[in-house]
Amino acid sequence: MVAITEMTNWAVDLIDVRKTYGRTIQALSGVNVQVGRGEIFGLLGPNGAGKTTLVKIMMTVVRPTHALGTILGRPIGHRGKLARIGYLPENHRFPGYLTGARVLNYYAALARVPGPRRRSNSARLLQRVGMSTWADTRIEKYSKGMMQRLGIAQALMNDPDLIVLDEPTDGLDPVGRREVRQLLVELRGEGKTVFLNSHLLSELEMVCDRVAILVGGLVARQGTLRELTEHTVEYRIGFSGDAQPIRTKLESLGGSVDRSVLTVPGGDVDRINAAIDCLRAAGIRIESVMPHRFSLEDILVEAVGRTAVAPPTVPSARPVRP
Amino acid sequence: MQFWALVVDGSRESRDKKIFWVVLAITLLIALAMLCIGFDGRRVSFFFGLVKGDAPESGLMESIGRTQLVGVVVWLLLETIFGWIGIVLMIVATAGMIPAFLERGVIDVVLAKPLSRPKLFLYKYLAGLVFVVVQSFIFVGATFLVMGFRWGLWVPGYLLAAPLLVLLFSYVYCVSVWVAVKTRSAIAAVLLSLGAWVVFALVHQGPMIFETFPALKEYRTLHAAVRAAAWIPPKTGDIIYFAARWAEAGTSAELFTGIMPRGAMDAEDRQQIDVAMQIEEKEILKSSISSVGSSLLFEAVVVLLAMWSFARKDY
Repeated sequence: MVAITEMTNWAVDLIDVRKTYGRTIQALSGVNVQVGRGEIFGLLGPNGAGKTTLVKIMMTVVRPTHALGTILGRPIGHRGKLARIGYLPENHRFPGYLTGARVLNYYAALARVPGPRRRSNSARLLQRVGMSTWADTRIEKYSKGMMQRLGIAQALMNDPDLIVLDEPTDGLDPVGRREVRQLLVELRGEGKTVFLNSHLLSELEMVCDRVAILVGGLVARQGTLRELTEHTVEYRIGFSGDAQPIRTKLESLGGSVDRSVLTVPGGDVDRINAAIDCLRAAGIRIESVMPHRFSLEDILVEAVGRTAVAPPTVPSARPVRP
Repeated sequence: MQFWALVVDGSRESRDKKIFWVVLAITLLIALAMLCIGFDGRRVSFFFGLVKGDAPESGLMESIGRTQLVGVVVWLLLETIFGWIGIVLMIVATAGMIPAFLERGVIDVVLAKPLSRPKLFLYKYLAGLVFVVVQSFIFVGATFLVMGFRWGLWVPGYLLAAPLLVLLFSYVYCVSVWVAVKTRSAIAAVLLSLGAWVVFALVHQGPMIFETFPALKEYRTLHAAVRAAAWIPPKTGDIIYFAARWAEAGTSAELFTGIMPRGAMDAEDRQQIDVAMQIEEKEILKSSISSVGSSLLFEAVVVLLAMWSFARKDY
């Protein structure tokens, strides 16, 4: 049985994860998320969507009201498997009386990393995150960016198969962010799975293979970036002339006119041509026809908007940040 | 490995606190003060012999014998200075450890390690005792060595005072930890644990009131209730009696009579001192197994309650 579950293709397979605080505050209303092995997965959503709660449930920091599924082939909450997972929480803090090297040694010991490996990993990872020269300095003297780098090194000390990072670029400057992105790509290259929770959509877009959009405690969209964006295209037709007389006709084709731009949603070429014909028949000059693919931000905004119109099935659902 | 990581961390956290060094300084001052006092045959000297007590014919050393000297160390230094002031300082110093450990961003990282919550809590609890273990062993070790080398008094039984002090601290510390887990407030932990210590002492004193005023024993139900109630909380007051017994330090009343001879007291004082001595002699001869056992049972229950709260919380 164990062998079978260990062989699942999903590094993370969360099924119907629910969390209710108290009796009424529903943070997660039945989340299903699948993360493939060796991929970078991004979890995004507006504030209060339940992202951090979901991450904390994965890491056993918060106990779910209900949860099925597996992480690295073991049920959610399996303590032993945590030895194979690296975790950087949001707004993490380490004891100020420790030096950088001691922080790594301490947390790695708690993760059951043997002494000799702790020493070698510590030196290697501090080098990797650019903190070697600060290894013996008490961390109360570290800047936020340095703490973030140290936190990432801490998450990698046990040479994990799955790395869960909650806002890993928080506090980093643009150069530091780029370095983190490179590091994530390198980790993927080493066959590790990265679960990323970030509100910086552009960053997720740059590195993630797959993403899930969490809204109001539910997964609104999930898939590869291509899957999420391929059907979310619109054409923007620039024109010069007065389109008011044919506005109703254009709207009947699904278009919307804003000053001198007609936006036609979807990729239906016949509809685009019909709209262009309509404009030309009215003597309006076409200046440009531009296909516009939605960004992750557009998709998120669209998902949030859709959820705002049609809230989750649980009437009392009220997304909160615990 | 995980246990030692938390213990080493506890040691580092202790050393990071100013109070740790304050208590250590108090210990060193006491040891230094003891070093200053010397006995040369029947003559007492101060400040390494710079000031000499006169008149060996006064018989000072005859009246202040071995028991009284050890008594001074046990009853004055160990009980009053370290057992009260030192322990209070250490409770204040350690009260913030659990709330700091439970802060968001700190606890998240630790809980995500392959260590069960009950074990993590237990290890952290024991790591919190590192502070007092270090201080107690330094205090008892230093005073033991000074007594031996400077005064020529080698009292091996006195060394047991070190684990006894740790025990005393742990009786109060368990309450501090429980409050800290429930409230995540260092101030609440200090106030309520010190309050609990006072309550423990008062409840423990209950049966002694019946010894002092035997007429009260006529109220049998009350007497039985007070004795039963006294069995429940940790017997913080017993610790010093066990230390005195094993160090052969006599009773505090005996020490008092050594300093103030009976001849100098009036009849009423003599009677009071006799009653006190009788009560203390009874206390000293009490069963340490029963006292420590019931106290540890109480401590275990409180620790289990704290562990239960810790394990069930979301962070």
